[in-house]
Amino acid sequence: MRYAPAILAGRLTRFAARLRKPGGGSAVPGLVVNRIAPGYLKRTLSGFPQGLVVVTGSSGKSTTTKMLVAVLRAHGIDVFTNPSTANISQGLTSALLERADWQGRVPGEMAVLEMDEGHGALVMQGVDARTVTLMNVMVDQVDRFHDSEMVAGMLARIAARARESVIVNADDAYLEQIATRVGADVSVRRFGVSETVVAASPRGLGYAKTVETRLAAGDGVRLESVDGRNAVIDDHGSAVAITLPARGTHYGVDATAAYATAQAVLGGRFDSAVTAAALSAIPAVFGRGERVNVRGQEVDFVLVQNTASYQLNVDSIEPGTSDILFAIGSDVRDPSYFWPADASSLGRVSIVSGSKSAEAALMLSYDGVAIDRVEPDLATAVDDFLAAPPPAFGTKTIVFSADSMRRTRAHLGLTGAE
Amino acid sequence: MTLTIITLLPSLQNTNGDAENAAVLAKRAGWAGLDARVVAVESRDDLPERVDAIVIGSGTDAALDVARTRLLDLHDDLRRWGTEGVPILAVGTGWELLSWGIELPDGSGVEGLGILPGRAVPHPAGRITGDLVVSERGTKQLLVGFENHARAYVGAEGSPLGRVRAGEGNALGSGQEGVVMGAVIGTHLHGPVLAKNPHLADRLLRTMAERAGLSYERGEQTRVVDAYAESARIAHLAAAGVDLESATATSPDV
Repeated sequence: MRYAPAILAGRLTRFAARLRKPGGGSAVPGLVVNRIAPGYLKRTLSGFPQGLVVVTGSSGKSTTTKMLVAVLRAHGIDVFTNPSTANISQGLTSALLERADWQGRVPGEMAVLEMDEGHGALVMQGVDARTVTLMNVMVDQVDRFHDSEMVAGMLARIAARARESVIVNADDAYLEQIATRVGADVSVRRFGVSETVVAASPRGLGYAKTVETRLAAGDGVRLESVDGRNAVIDDHGSAVAITLPARGTHYGVDATAAYATAQAVLGGRFDSAVTAAALSAIPAVFGRGERVNVRGQEVDFVLVQNTASYQLNVDSIEPGTSDILFAIGSDVRDPSYFWPADASSLGRVSIVSGSKSAEAALMLSYDGVAIDRVEPDLATAVDDFLAAPPPAFGTKTIVFSADSMRRTRAHLGLTGAE
Repeated sequence: MTLTIITLLPSLQNTNGDAENAAVLAKRAGWAGLDARVVAVESRDDLPERVDAIVIGSGTDAALDVARTRLLDLHDDLRRWGTEGVPILAVGTGWELLSWGIELPDGSGVEGLGILPGRAVPHPAGRITGDLVVSERGTKQLLVGFENHARAYVGAEGSPLGRVRAGEGNALGSGQEGVVMGAVIGTHLHGPVLAKNPHLADRLLRTMAERAGLSYERGEQTRVVDAYAESARIAHLAAAGVDLESATATSPDV
């Protein structure tokens, strides 16, 4: 009963927000509830009977969360999760509101949440998690996180909320440091990649600091090999074959992280065949390598967030793709950190757009990419790009930063998936 | 004759893409019809026979000691290049490591290599981030970019890179940014500073070409790319609140 007034206020706000912007998922209702009932988020997160699992890190947390949820649901567990666009406090509360009854109770036996590495430490204050999964520390939006130590510090604070287990990426030196400092009663489990996978990744794994040696088979769950969309995970000696949602080593690492986390959470109930089937059935994820049908044609959406994801996602675009729209928005205040990546494989880009279009065009030209046109106005660019005749080769592909992705989706009337 | 640009310790000193300035020089040389290559130098063993320009970017504070230890092996080379007039571009902590030294908030310090005058000292108001616009000493050309540094810089007031038009630069009320000694430049302007400031890139390239007995003229593609740079510069100046009239009056012809 105690949260009923706040829930009502949040609901009304959401109703008002949707009248203003149809189809919009707004963080404002969450803001209202967090104001009126500051304890709601903490209490609700702590209230799931089978506990809370948190996935965080610089990159891959969205995909890993989706994969983990699919695996747990395949094991018959009723899971509450947050959409990847709602991984900070207000958005998270809004997401809970979506599912809450009038008293604010959210159904579900277990919560699996993707947590923003910057806001997670604050959200997790006073909230205990069963398990925290740490993906990686990468050089991220430079004006937000000044350096890797700062990101590692924030992840350490989130990890400190784990009561049962911490799952770490054993290839990431910062995370291995965090692993040495968890409480004595908290178990540490590891996932990583084999030497074969590293050898097949000429640009490395993209972590801020990579451990020199690979995780030994048997010391954790290890990604053995990736070949196109096929991957093999080694689970303490037994090989598990899976299909990835798209090409790319990072998807293999995400699947391995989800596998290791599910194993820790499910204990004796864990079934590797069920897990492999669930992982293989994952559709392409929201905003990254997503194929949508819009205005009567197929278009690939590719989201870039940091140097490593930019490199990996550009590499995963089929060489020779003739129609590419490349948009960087105001969320990337200083695109300097994208420069170490090499986008030369794109060859030619049809339109460069977004509020940072000049910076993007400059960067692409130094990678030797030819540019047909620079159109700072994203709506015009998207309209013209989609109105152009079918591509000579490949699928029309839009590469964008998070802000440009939101604007593009809004412009096309596409709503977010879960 | 191939121009060789080396980038020092790129595995440690490329946090903001500053090491990519080496590639910017090589690309522009290529567009001008000159042969050029970039060589990554992580230790003295990697040093090529001939060095025409040196770029060292910015790293994290955790890497300061490791980077300094590795740079010490190159101490004599750096001194020699500096004296001989080989262009050196040092950005952020890469610049600080080439200075007299770095003072840390806990009272400890990292001794620099002493290639450039001055030292980095703690900035009492904390980290400095944002747009940085500098009117270059001598040429009055505007240099634009971003700054993101934890420390101020003192002791080089006699030879700054230029006067701060927007941002903090060397900070502590100096109104100055950077330091220049001959062809050695230290700056807080991070990221692809040479791509965003083509006139600075071309000055380094002309020095390199001259020393190698070649001549440098901007190529066709350079003009196309510099038009993008000009748009990015205008956006920077607008964001930094610097008057566009005076800015375009002093920018290079594109």
